[in-house]
Amino acid sequence: MRRYFRLIRVFIALSAQEEIAYRANFLVSALHSLLNFGTGLLGLVVLFDQVEAVHGWDYASTLAVLGVYLSVSALRGLFISPSLDSLVGMDGDIWRGEFDFTLIRPANTQFLASFRRWRLFALVDLALGLLVLGAALVQLNTALTGAQVITFLLTLCASVMVLYAVLLVFASLVFWNPGFLFTWVFDGLFQMARYPVGMYPGGLRLALTWIVPVGIITTVPARALTHDLPPGLLVGALVFAGTAVLIASILFRAGLGRYASASS
Amino acid sequence: MNHRGGLALIQSTWLSWMQHRSFFFLLAFGWMIPPLIYLFVWATAAGGGTAAGLTRGEFTAYYLVLILVNQLTYAQTNWTVGDIIRSGDLNRLLLYPMSPLYNTLATELAGKVVYMTFVIPVTGGLALLLRPDLHPSLTDVLAFVPALLFAWALRFLWGYWLALLAFWVTRADSLLAVQDALIFLLAGQVAPTTILPGLIRFAAVILPFRYMVGFPVEVLTGQLDRADLIAGFAAQIGWLVIAFVLYQVMWRRGVRRYTAIGG
Repeated sequence: MRRYFRLIRVFIALSAQEEIAYRANFLVSALHSLLNFGTGLLGLVVLFDQVEAVHGWDYASTLAVLGVYLSVSALRGLFISPSLDSLVGMDGDIWRGEFDFTLIRPANTQFLASFRRWRLFALVDLALGLLVLGAALVQLNTALTGAQVITFLLTLCASVMVLYAVLLVFASLVFWNPGFLFTWVFDGLFQMARYPVGMYPGGLRLALTWIVPVGIITTVPARALTHDLPPGLLVGALVFAGTAVLIASILFRAGLGRYASASS
Repeated sequence: MNHRGGLALIQSTWLSWMQHRSFFFLLAFGWMIPPLIYLFVWATAAGGGTAAGLTRGEFTAYYLVLILVNQLTYAQTNWTVGDIIRSGDLNRLLLYPMSPLYNTLATELAGKVVYMTFVIPVTGGLALLLRPDLHPSLTDVLAFVPALLFAWALRFLWGYWLALLAFWVTRADSLLAVQDALIFLLAGQVAPTTILPGLIRFAAVILPFRYMVGFPVEVLTGQLDRADLIAGFAAQIGWLVIAFVLYQVMWRRGVRRYTAIGG
């Protein structure tokens, strides 16, 4: 276990060195972060300029969902996406057959595939996301109880686990159908998590909760912060997250068995 | 100018793209999602009544048309112009007996053909499912066609002159990201420009972005009266002229400055 933490530290240091080498890119990244933050926020301002509430979701609680969305996306951009993209993305290791070198390393393959690349700039995105969350709390004008904070952190853990599991599943599918960018399908659907799932029509709401569980990823943590979360939902989210990671790991392992390298 | 060569290039590009259609379908899918989100959110907000004076069916119609228009006008080739300049690939294009603009146009039109084979059936299916409220009059349809053509030309040329800044700046494509964000906000994606709040609405009417996407949609869904329609066309043509002049200036100056790097 300690060895794995040390490996993560090395991976972070290496990625940081690589990132710092491209200084001008910092400005571009900052611009992208601000655009993402600004358009998200103004989208809500425009909507709630016209209506008071949509299906029981008012400005403050929708803002909380956006805050969770931005924070979780930031955590995803910190290591999950950079790592998985370098594996299955366009020109990733599986496309070029360089995955062979990962397989022969003396560490767990799933661990290497999930943690080997970091993008520290995502911490700026995380700060912006937390800023939005803070703004939502100010809007709500209620004092947070300790229990609420703990529930929120637990649901946030569950949401990052679910996000990781889903991305790993989509990434694993590449072993069955190399060349198809499965993660892009998820990227499209994940954008829907900007808004509470309650704002979507019936069938889509069910799909967004259980099939592509973006509801669990953003709506549940935001609810834990803004309303009282039923204990059953908290337990359900945690169990769901654990199961999802387990199933995703099994699928990834099965996928590894099908990997047959590649050549130009 | 060699137009026949240009047409042949356009056709061959489109045929070769069709072979990678699953990739392009995925791109088109991703671009469909943001307007789809706002379709659902506004339709839910309207519920059985209205939100901002529009009913559920009207929002649905607006956004379904917007998905089509957005896809038809989206100039994704602008993103590769900078790459071509930076990588030195422009050398080859400059040797062709026709303007490099044709090369970009070829990928542009090829893209439209491939994307439409995906987007039209999907929007058609959504229309059957969500029952939009769309009854355009004949004049709406007649006005829509030029509005759409101008919108495409404006969005294409506007992005093209921005992309040509790559002659001077290495990361000029970040300006294209800014453009996409402004289009999201001001061109009628986040909400029809007619219901935007005061200051944002003013910016939307003045700046070119509404005329790249939102304006043709408003024309077809009948949201504009005659005065708005004429003002809209005037603004569209005005911005188109400005975009064309900027493109000419950028291209002439840039290509004189251009030296390829690498071998």
